[in-house]
Amino acid sequence: MNLGTRKLLDRSFTALGIGSIVIMGLALLVVLAPIVSKGVGALVFRETIEHRKLLSTEFHRGDGRELEKEIALSNGYRQKAFDMLAVFDQELEQMTPERQEQYRESYDQVKTALRGLLGPLPGDTDPELARNRYGQTRWDKAEEKLRELLYEQKWDYSNPDVIAKPYDVSRAPGFAGTSLVRLFPYVEQNLDKMLLPEWTFYWGFITDSSIDAHFFGGIWPEIQGTLFLAIGAMLFAFPLGVIAAVYFTEYARDGFLTSMLRSANSTLAGVPSIVFGLFGLAFFINTLHVSESKSVLAGSLTLAIMILPTIIRASEEAILSVPKTYKEASLGLGSTKWNTIMTVILPAALPGILTGGVISLGRAAGETAPIIFTAAVSVGTAIGLGDVLSSPTPALSWNIYNLASEHEAAAQIRHVQYGMVLALVTVVLLLNLSAVILRARISKKLKG
Amino acid sequence: MKMFRKIMFGAALMGLMAAGDASAAGNRLVLDGSTTVGPIAKAFAAYFKKTTGVDVTVSESGSGNGAKSLINKTCDIANMSRAMKDNEMAAAKSKGVNPVENIVALDGMAIIVHPGNRVNGLTRKQIRDIYSGQVTNWSQVGGPNAPIVMIQRESNSGTQDSFKELVMGKELPISKRAETQASNGAVKSRVASTPTAIGFVGHGFIDSSVKALDVDGVEANVQTIKSGKYPISRPLFMYTNGQPTGTVKQFIDLPKTEEGQKIISEVGFVNRY
Repeated sequence: MNLGTRKLLDRSFTALGIGSIVIMGLALLVVLAPIVSKGVGALVFRETIEHRKLLSTEFHRGDGRELEKEIALSNGYRQKAFDMLAVFDQELEQMTPERQEQYRESYDQVKTALRGLLGPLPGDTDPELARNRYGQTRWDKAEEKLRELLYEQKWDYSNPDVIAKPYDVSRAPGFAGTSLVRLFPYVEQNLDKMLLPEWTFYWGFITDSSIDAHFFGGIWPEIQGTLFLAIGAMLFAFPLGVIAAVYFTEYARDGFLTSMLRSANSTLAGVPSIVFGLFGLAFFINTLHVSESKSVLAGSLTLAIMILPTIIRASEEAILSVPKTYKEASLGLGSTKWNTIMTVILPAALPGILTGGVISLGRAAGETAPIIFTAAVSVGTAIGLGDVLSSPTPALSWNIYNLASEHEAAAQIRHVQYGMVLALVTVVLLLNLSAVILRARISKKLKG
Repeated sequence: MKMFRKIMFGAALMGLMAAGDASAAGNRLVLDGSTTVGPIAKAFAAYFKKTTGVDVTVSESGSGNGAKSLINKTCDIANMSRAMKDNEMAAAKSKGVNPVENIVALDGMAIIVHPGNRVNGLTRKQIRDIYSGQVTNWSQVGGPNAPIVMIQRESNSGTQDSFKELVMGKELPISKRAETQASNGAVKSRVASTPTAIGFVGHGFIDSSVKALDVDGVEANVQTIKSGKYPISRPLFMYTNGQPTGTVKQFIDLPKTEEGQKIISEVGFVNRY
């Protein structure tokens, strides 16, 4: 091969390498950018006065006097809209039954939309659910609701052969000739004065418990549950895994049994996580009765079994990569085998072992399937450390799934779901980061 | 060992922080089961925590799992959208569990389609024909010329069992072409995003993204569900192990209180009492 071709091949390989790295970076960006941008929306948004009312009543937060002033201010504007409703109510009473019927459905829709914006209307009974007690707490959602108030979505069924397309009809002309017609432009123009939106950083999203099945409030119970489960899994799996690795590398004789054990370990690493979940339910809860119901303990044990093979493999590799001369020097100085393992081999292998631990920790925090049957619930309060042996807990991974598919109002609380995703990514990142720092410090110490 | 001490110290500190809000053991209710009963159970849980201070956890894993949890004594209350089957009863008895039926609310199972579908109502016979695979195009039941996408629930679901019992009848199986979704919410979002789909969910799950059909010409609302005029109404259950006592009884009796009834109607179901 002449020099020219070789150079060309060399360059094209470099280009290929750089290209693949760029594609990887782009893929990461495509995945992470929406997670971060949408997730931040759960924390930073334009909160309306309804949100401040909610914080004040449910969490006793915020400046009460300032809030009262704001409420008085917004009520002034709201009252006018309420007055229009009252006037129309009177008008409605004087109409013939046929005309009443004509307006009834549309009027109910208007009232429902207005309730969605401003909370209960005067004369309504006090709702029991928090989702009905407050109006829109987020300005972006309020603008959507305003559209619902101003326009009615209709479907064009004129062509019987195809699926209909939606189109919007302004509601105001439907009430032409009545007093209610004034309501629509009034609300449209004065909505910001009724809701007083302000940019806010809602840190409570991280530290509060959820209110009314994640409609409002934060996700602290989920974050805490995830931490408990991941750390609990590590507490069981890490010591066991390292001990097993020491046995495999230092004590086990090469033989049929050892090779069987090794291949069993490799097989376990490839078992789908849902299998571990069902195993955890059948073994830990139904057979061993480690707890009366699902619990953090049962979930941690299940996760521990799932990550054990990874830890064993990583620890084995790390121990094998410790130079043989270390061990020989230690034994040559008259140290015992046990002493050599504890004082020479394990410390030297620790950075490698921790790498395996870091990977497993991230996996334990993010897995959903193993905890469905053993630990996770869709609604629950933050549990104390004293409850981990007996209590189930909400956890980020499971609750993200729950909010995405099972929740009765999934479409209304997408922002909470995005916030949870961001929180989960951040928790995994932080757990990993702290382990990486720990590893770096240990390596530094070892180098002296 | 300095490092080790630091780690231990950190762990102890975390423990202290978290132990602060540890609740008294036993003062806690665990609910498992139906995704249909889920919204009621979750709202009850929040209300119960607020008024009595008792922690309530709710899992939504399907009626079948609820029954299994009760049989294995891993939950206090099993939410179910169907009655317990004979084999479940037998399994419970053999494990010393005595499931007691408590009706929380009534539900008119809603047959839902995309709002762009011109069909407004179907008879039970038509629904049966669709799900058994005899009718495959919307034009055969007065709709647009488009193939029907059937959505059903998984075998674990109480709603699936109720649908089979109330609509299909015992002998007629659901067509193999029906697509399976794992929860009420998932069925709803699938139907909302698929113009040619048909599905069935609990009454509390209806919103503007889907259209609920009249069944046999009867619209599902509070009156028709309560009177049983709506042909596919059913009760929703909370099963307990033995007659409920103490906090369990207090929780089970919520549908008889005024607040409980308000909650049930606000999440979109119908009061029985």
